[in-house]
Amino acid sequence: MDNINLEKEQQLADILSSDFTRLDAKVVRERRVEAVLKSNDIIPSVLLFAKDKLGYIHFSHMSCVDWLEEGEFEVIYILWNPEEKINLLIKVRTDRDNATLPNIDYIWRQANTYERELREMYGIEFPGLIAAKEFILEDWQGMPPMRRDFKTKEYVDDHFFHRPGREDAQDVRETIANRSGEEIPEFAKKFSRK
Amino acid sequence: MMNINDKHSQKIVDIIKEYARKQSLFILAYGTGCGAIEIPPTMTSRYDAERYGIRGAATPRQADVLLITGYLATKTLKRVIRAYEQMQSPKYVIGFGSCTINGGMYWDSYNTINVLDKYLPVDVYINGCMPRPEAVLAGFDKLKELIQAGKAEGWKHYQENLDWYRENQKKVIVNWQMPDYNW
Amino acid sequence: MDDILIKILGAIATVILAFTVGMTYGGLSRKVIARIQNRIGPPWYQNFIDNAKLLFKVSNINHGFMQHVAPLWLIGMSVTTVLFIPVLNTGGDSWYNSWFPNLNFHGDLIFLLYLMVIGSLGMALGAGQTGNPNSAIGVSRGLTQMVGFEVPWVMALVALMIQYKTTSITGLMAAAEQQGTWLAFSSPFATLAALLAMPGMFRYSPFDIVGAPAELASGPVSEFGGKYLSTMMTSGSIFAFVKLTLYVDIFFGGANNLVELVIKTFILYMYPVLWGAVSPRFRTEQAVRFFWGWPVLFGIIALIQASL
Repeated sequence: MDNINLEKEQQLADILSSDFTRLDAKVVRERRVEAVLKSNDIIPSVLLFAKDKLGYIHFSHMSCVDWLEEGEFEVIYILWNPEEKINLLIKVRTDRDNATLPNIDYIWRQANTYERELREMYGIEFPGLIAAKEFILEDWQGMPPMRRDFKTKEYVDDHFFHRPGREDAQDVRETIANRSGEEIPEFAKKFSRK
Repeated sequence: MMNINDKHSQKIVDIIKEYARKQSLFILAYGTGCGAIEIPPTMTSRYDAERYGIRGAATPRQADVLLITGYLATKTLKRVIRAYEQMQSPKYVIGFGSCTINGGMYWDSYNTINVLDKYLPVDVYINGCMPRPEAVLAGFDKLKELIQAGKAEGWKHYQENLDWYRENQKKVIVNWQMPDYNW
Repeated sequence: MDDILIKILGAIATVILAFTVGMTYGGLSRKVIARIQNRIGPPWYQNFIDNAKLLFKVSNINHGFMQHVAPLWLIGMSVTTVLFIPVLNTGGDSWYNSWFPNLNFHGDLIFLLYLMVIGSLGMALGAGQTGNPNSAIGVSRGLTQMVGFEVPWVMALVALMIQYKTTSITGLMAAAEQQGTWLAFSSPFATLAALLAMPGMFRYSPFDIVGAPAELASGPVSEFGGKYLSTMMTSGSIFAFVKLTLYVDIFFGGANNLVELVIKTFILYMYPVLWGAVSPRFRTEQAVRFFWGWPVLFGIIALIQASL
C-alpha cells in the first residue's frame, strides 16, 4: 500500500495551481484531484483549459450541495481524463440568495441538462443557458424543492392527503417479544408506541 | 314469442355479461411506477396470466383494467387521469403496492401523491412493496369476484361524483389543460 | 320460393360457420403460441369471451361518421366475400352441401381480388378520421405491405388463369377435378408464390408491422374500442376463414365435407402462426423486400410455365 504513486496527480495539481492564481488544487487520493475555485468568473476558463490542454474531455457530472448554515451553494463539476485516468473535481461556491453561475453548455452540450436541473431544483441561474425553461417539474410555483429550507412535510400536508393509520396499530417489536418471551433492551424502549 | 326484456331472459343475459366481463380483462400496459417490473413475469411463462383471460391492451380505448403500478408523481397523475377517462366503461382500477395506498416510502415527497382513491375510483388494492406475481394474480381474482358480485362499479361512482374527484385532482394539478370527459 | 329460402338460410349458415371457425382458429392460435412459449395459454373459446365482453361495453366513443362506419364497412366486405367463395366442392354428397354454394357462380377471381382490398380501404378512411398519429402510420404501413404481397399473389392467380383458361374459382376447381390432382402439383411455382405471400395477408410476425402493439399501439385500431373493436374482430375472423378457404379451394383441391375443410384450413392456418411464433418483426421495407424477392421470382416462373 505504501508504494502508491501519486506523481501524475501531484503534477496535475501543480499545473492547475500555477496557472490559476485564484485556485487551490490538492490531491485527494489516487486518481482523484480536487480544485477549489475562489472566484466564479474563472469557471469557463478552468474547464476549457482542462478540456483542451490537459485532456479532460469527458464531463461526467455536475452536482450541487446546499450549505444552508453558511448561506452558500457549492457546485461541483466532475471531469474525467481517459488517458491519465484521473477524476478532476472542480468545486465552486456561490451565494444562496441570487445564486448565479457562468453558463458552460457551449463547452459540453450535455452540461445543459445538469444546468437545467440545478436551475429548477435549486434555483441557480445560468445566464445564456440554452432552453432555459421548465424541465422535470411541471407547473411548479414557489420555492425550488431541493433547497434545504423547503419544508417538505408542510408542503405535503398542504397539497396531498394522508391516510389515517389504524387505531389498533401494534408495535411489531413488542408483539414479537411478548410471543417469544424476549426482554426488550433498555435503549429500544423509547421507540415503543406506548 | 319470447319477450327479450322479461325478467328471466334478462337474467340469462346478465349471467353471460358478467361471465364475459370477468373472464376477459384487457389491462392497459402503462407502467407508472417501479411495480411495472412485476407485470412481465405475471404475463409470461412463469405465471402466465393469459390463461385467466388477462391480456395486455395497447391503447386505453381497448382496455378494461388500469393498473397503477406503484408511486404516482403529480406529473404522471395527469396522464393517468387522461388515460382513465379515455377508457370505455365498464372499467376498473387496481392500485398496486403500498405507494398507492398511503404513499409508501414516498409519503413525504413533494411530488408524489399519497392516497390514490381520492383521485381515481380504485376497485382493488394489492399491498406489498412490491407485490409478487402471486399477489397480483390474487388481486385479479378479487377483482373477478367483485365483478361477479356486481360490486366493481368504481366507474359509476366516478361519473356520479365527478365534481369531488375533479376538485381533488385540481388541487394537485395546477395547470389544468385537459379535454372534457366524454362518456 | 323454396329456392330463395334455402339461399337465405344457406347464406346465414355460411356466415355463422365462417365466424365460428375463424374465432376458434384465433383462440387456437393463441393457445398454440402459448404452448410454444411454455405457457398454458387461454382456453380455445377465449376469443368468443373477448368478443362478448367488447359487445357488452356500456360506452362506445367515436370521433365522427367515418369511424362509426369503418367497422361496418369491414364486416360488410367480409360477409360479401364469404358468399362469393365456394366453401365446399360440388362433388360432395353430404346432406348440407346444398347450403353452401351461395353466389360462387356469379363472381370470378378478378372481382374477388378487388373485393378483398375494399375492406382495407374503408379501414384506412375510418382510421384516418380518428386523428391518432399511430393510426395514420399503421394505415400507411398496411397499404405498403399490401403493395408488397399483392404482387406475387396476383402473379400466381394470373398464372393459373392463363394455364387453365378460366377466371372462375369454380372453373379452377373443376379443372383440378378433371385432371385428378391438386393444382398445387400441376402448377407448383404459382402455389409457392401464393404460399409465400400468405403470411402477409394474415399479419402475424414477422409481418405484423401494421398492428405492432409495442411500437404503434395496435396501429389503425388504436382508437377503436367496445363495439367497434368487437365488430372488427368478427370481421377479421370471417375474413381469415375466407382467405383460408380460398387457398384450399384453388390450390389444395377444395373439400368434399366440412371435416375435410376444417382439417385442411387448420393445417394451412398453422403455417403463418408457427412462422410468427418464432419470428421477430420486420421493418416495412424489409417486408416489401421479402415479398418482392423469391415470391415474385416464383411468380415469374409460374407465368412462363403457364404460357408455354
